[in-house]
Amino acid sequence: MRVALAQVSSRLGEIRKNLDAHLETIEDARRSRARLVVFPELSLTGYTLMDFVPDVALDPGRHPLFQKLVAASRTIDVVLGFVEEGGKGLFYNAAAYLSRGRIVHIHRKVFLPTAGMFEEGKFFARGQAIRTFAASFGQAGLLICRDFQHYGASYLHFVGGADLIIVISAAPGRGLEARGAFGSSRMWELMGESISFFSTAFVIYCNRVGFEDGKAFAGGSFIFGPTGRRIVKAPEAEETLILADLALDEIRSARKRLTFLRDERPDVVLRSLHRIVGDDAD
Amino acid sequence: MMQIDGEFVAKVLCAFIREELHKFGFRRGILGFSGGLDSSVCAALAARALGGKNVLALILPYKDTFSDDVKDAQGLARKLGIRARVLDISPMVDAYFSRYPTEDRVRIGNKMARERMAILYDHSIPEKALILGTSNKTELLIGYGTIHGDMACAINPLGDLYKTQVRALGAYLRLPARILKKAPTAGLWPGQTDEGEIGLKYSEIDAILYELVDERKTVKEAIAAGFNKEAVQRIEARIVRSEFKRKMPPIAKLSARTVGHDFLYPYDRNR
Repeated sequence: MRVALAQVSSRLGEIRKNLDAHLETIEDARRSRARLVVFPELSLTGYTLMDFVPDVALDPGRHPLFQKLVAASRTIDVVLGFVEEGGKGLFYNAAAYLSRGRIVHIHRKVFLPTAGMFEEGKFFARGQAIRTFAASFGQAGLLICRDFQHYGASYLHFVGGADLIIVISAAPGRGLEARGAFGSSRMWELMGESISFFSTAFVIYCNRVGFEDGKAFAGGSFIFGPTGRRIVKAPEAEETLILADLALDEIRSARKRLTFLRDERPDVVLRSLHRIVGDDAD
Repeated sequence: MMQIDGEFVAKVLCAFIREELHKFGFRRGILGFSGGLDSSVCAALAARALGGKNVLALILPYKDTFSDDVKDAQGLARKLGIRARVLDISPMVDAYFSRYPTEDRVRIGNKMARERMAILYDHSIPEKALILGTSNKTELLIGYGTIHGDMACAINPLGDLYKTQVRALGAYLRLPARILKKAPTAGLWPGQTDEGEIGLKYSEIDAILYELVDERKTVKEAIAAGFNKEAVQRIEARIVRSEFKRKMPPIAKLSARTVGHDFLYPYDRNR
């Protein structure tokens, strides 16, 4: 199964132009025989939206521009980021999985970074659920950027039986201590490697590039296989469409020897969580 | 901690210059070019990012003070293949001070910095160029710059690099040794050096700033870590005192939605 990672930039607040760029990239990916193309977080709108959020929010089931993307998924599965109007004036930082001309799943970002340079909690409503869904190539789970740094989110996909954990991101590069890369890129790879290994699942991470208000988005998209092996790594801070071939039977062969999923005890975790959260409430 | 990968940093900063300009519909950059380290690094990055013919370096001396720097600037401009123009600011500056005389070197220096700013902004229009800033992180943090003078620009590629790191980047960019070794000066008066005026070496300032800013250490912690007490306190005081230079001025809030308070849009709006 060939996957395309669209490590691209977006124009801030310009949905129509971004849509055209998406359709072109989807076509490029399809022509390269990819069966899934993944775009970064908020790829349809740009990231640093602030008071733009309500203006670019859309109802994916009804919005005519979004229908073009849904239609483009007839021949190739598409993951992208957008602002979802969830009714009643609630706006979510969302990811959609589109396949065979349908919206298969929407994930609303649960963990909104709101500290230092990040202000998402000021402008977005919090997602309330993390669940896997049946994608064309197995069970899949979506996460958005900071969601992936809270390992509980990946844990839920793991116990939800995810074969693919797909993370879309708009992570700015930070830190000059590394060579040929931003220091912060290491953090993402570390998580990708760990989660893929301990979930015996593919982790597909697509980060954007380009600049917004001086922030450089770091790129460095990657895929790790179900034994923690790095399959592909895109260059830092360069626009590119990366292709990788995933052998989905690696999931089965990994789980034959790495029995984390078989031996997992979500019931114990749940009881313990109830106790911990209950204690906190006291 | 102060070490940088010159190749990677240059790649990111060139992309920043190119993309920011192009987003706003510009192909060309203009900068004030003193022949010192910061403006030389900025000019070299701009030449890489935009192509030499798309960079205009304005060399803006006051009479013939710093004539060696003018020669260095002209020499580097040739080497980088950028366009350079020399424009003596003394008629404008002298016209003002002949009517409002002062011996205050800071006032005179600030006036010169703002004269250069006014010339850059004026030239940016026929040139169809955006102004590239050259203030580094050290200067921004300790407020060692003239507000609305040398700090004024459209985009600033160097503002997150300490002076020490700018020098390392300059070495990676193969700037002439003369420029790399030059004692940094604001050029406010002959013989002035930054280190002389601030009373600390850049290596010390940067190491202390790194502790306080990047590592978020308190003054107490920085001193406990072995830094000179008096130097740490002096730098902390400079950071606090110069906050106004790093911010837009406060607007008195009256209405429900106010510029600078809750009318919140990105700089790169619709770009």
